[in-house]
Amino acid sequence: MGALDDTDPKEFITDFFTSFMSDLVRGDEDPAVIVDRYHTPDILQVADGHLMDRAKLIAHTRPARKHQTGARWEVHEAIADGDRIAARYTLHFQTSKREGSVDVHFFGQFADDGRMRRAHMLTRSVPVEVSDRGRVST
Amino acid sequence: MTVSTYRVIGMACGHCAGFVTEEIERIPGVTAVAVDVEHDTVTVNSDRLLDLVEVRAAVEEAGYELH
Repeated sequence: MGALDDTDPKEFITDFFTSFMSDLVRGDEDPAVIVDRYHTPDILQVADGHLMDRAKLIAHTRPARKHQTGARWEVHEAIADGDRIAARYTLHFQTSKREGSVDVHFFGQFADDGRMRRAHMLTRSVPVEVSDRGRVST
Repeated sequence: MTVSTYRVIGMACGHCAGFVTEEIERIPGVTAVAVDVEHDTVTVNSDRLLDLVEVRAAVEEAGYELH
């Protein structure tokens, strides 16, 4: 995980989520350690109005670790301003029981070392078309 | 009709709520499921008394944890 000012914002946000999810679903490292590697202790995320602090974020890693078999972040555009990023992306996910895509409009703030400090997200599930199946990769 | 409220850990957004709802709705006798992500609770309406074991199994099948 690199610092934001060293990287193209589109690449930064793709690498951030891909690397975080990869660390979670591969291996058996304590989820709290992984969450802390990618987020500051005062992390605050708001997804569709639902507030998520560090404790809730750690609890939320359990379903991902248990069921996620694939995830791909397709970042359509990303703009950086200082320590903040605005991005529009589609998360394509695959679990043992379902697959789907979620459109996300993201506003985030990152620490100098690349850890996430704050994120606001508005999301929308998108229907999976038959022709899209099998395109999700880990 | 029976109404029961359970504490479910790990839900963070509307998508989580959807996954949990989908699994609990599969339990025979369940007539309605209402998820409160903010307070980590799931309220289930059913036309019979549900066994905690089957509710736990449904929640865990969705990937979450019943407390």
